[in-house]
Amino acid sequence: MKTLPIILIFLFGGTYLYAQHHHAADNELEAGKINAGHSLYHLDAPWTTHRDETVKLSDFRGSPIIVVMFYGNCREVCPILIQDTWRLYNRVDTSRRETVKVLAITFDTENDTPEVLREYANYEQLDIPGWHFMTSEDATVRSLAMMLGVQYSKKSDGHFAHTNLVTVLDEEGKIARRVEGLNQPMEEAAAVIDSMNKEEKL
Amino acid sequence: MKFLTNIVPVTIPLPSLAVVMVFGLAAAARAQTDRVLVPSGSFHSVMPEVKGEAVPVDSFYLDITAVTNEKFAEFTDQNENWRPDEVPAVFTNKGYLKHWQEEGHKPDYERIGRERPVTNVSWFAANAYCQWSGGRLPTLNEWEYSAQLMDFDSSEAVSEFTAKLVSWYSSVDTNNLGEVGSTGIETRVGVKDQFGLIMEWVQDFKPPVSDDLSLDCGTVGRMQQLGNAYSYAASIRYITRMSYNPKSSIGTMGFRCAYDIGPKLESNEP
Repeated sequence: MKTLPIILIFLFGGTYLYAQHHHAADNELEAGKINAGHSLYHLDAPWTTHRDETVKLSDFRGSPIIVVMFYGNCREVCPILIQDTWRLYNRVDTSRRETVKVLAITFDTENDTPEVLREYANYEQLDIPGWHFMTSEDATVRSLAMMLGVQYSKKSDGHFAHTNLVTVLDEEGKIARRVEGLNQPMEEAAAVIDSMNKEEKL
Repeated sequence: MKFLTNIVPVTIPLPSLAVVMVFGLAAAARAQTDRVLVPSGSFHSVMPEVKGEAVPVDSFYLDITAVTNEKFAEFTDQNENWRPDEVPAVFTNKGYLKHWQEEGHKPDYERIGRERPVTNVSWFAANAYCQWSGGRLPTLNEWEYSAQLMDFDSSEAVSEFTAKLVSWYSSVDTNNLGEVGSTGIETRVGVKDQFGLIMEWVQDFKPPVSDDLSLDCGTVGRMQQLGNAYSYAASIRYITRMSYNPKSSIGTMGFRCAYDIGPKLESNEP
């Protein structure tokens, strides 16, 4: 059966870039507009951190952000992924590091409550300023994953198959660097963070 | 295996309410006429967790039909940031709701039809709509499982059904989509048009694929070895989905929503 030509019919992705796009929700934000159409801050949904704080992504405006997606019951791959994230964080210039925010976001919205995330952060010795272990509604977590290009599926045993990805966002919330795979070199991603405007602190 | 003589399921009038009543008042209170319960079960996926084993699926509610232009317009009415002229570029591409024209505020129903499925919607828009409507997008496994809940009377009926699907997937006319419910294709629990109308977004439309199961041309061959009525359509869907990105807003692609049964599991709070 000749199937492939049909598939082409369904194919026209194409990215569409435009900056300075006005956004209705911007009016509610006093801290400043989300200037970039491609900013992840447009995901305007609440998250809960391991400190039981409610935050939005746009709360981190002005800071370089490192995002990693994981889940707590993942005992083999995720500790490496978290360790990778730490290696990147630790490579950032010391004068710059305190402005960097790390968002570790769980796939497992059912089991990874703020309490469980707090235990996880403690266990990993990462309950430190600037690091936020976060959860939200499924649809929100899924949206962020889609924005980052993280693929994941829940398996019937409760575990998740998922992409291993560490992402750097710039101060406007746009994707600045993606590091895919485990145990990858972090020099370049760290240099991207170092190069970000040091004046724009939160 | 049961077979149905005719694809048109005139013989499957199972009312959704009757199904729901079995599950008691709590569930019945949630029941709505536009959705039905899809009971738990399992199906043979082209992407099984364990080769050769069926994938289990829990019970869930699913919209009987795809979301229409009219329903989606309610959503954009109440959520201005999802109007075509307001939506941030991070969520859609420029095809988003392009068939609505008229500056995107109101669709031109004369031309596009109230009861036709909304298309030219990105995954982000579909996800936001379902969240707004109190549900969520169905998972890939839920959608595919539901699609296979059809009865056929004979192997001839299966062949006929397969042939019909082949011709449909070869000639989708995005300018002349039928209205929702118009295909006559319905599962045994009353979900309509999972074949024959549009492609539909699912929550995890691009699942992580293990190295030994690349979704490419060879996959079509492998899936046809499944040897059932659905394998051709399934192969097209799995491969096509992998070619989308979540901003894709195209004329063949719409969606329907799913809903959890009852409250979610309690959290582990002490």
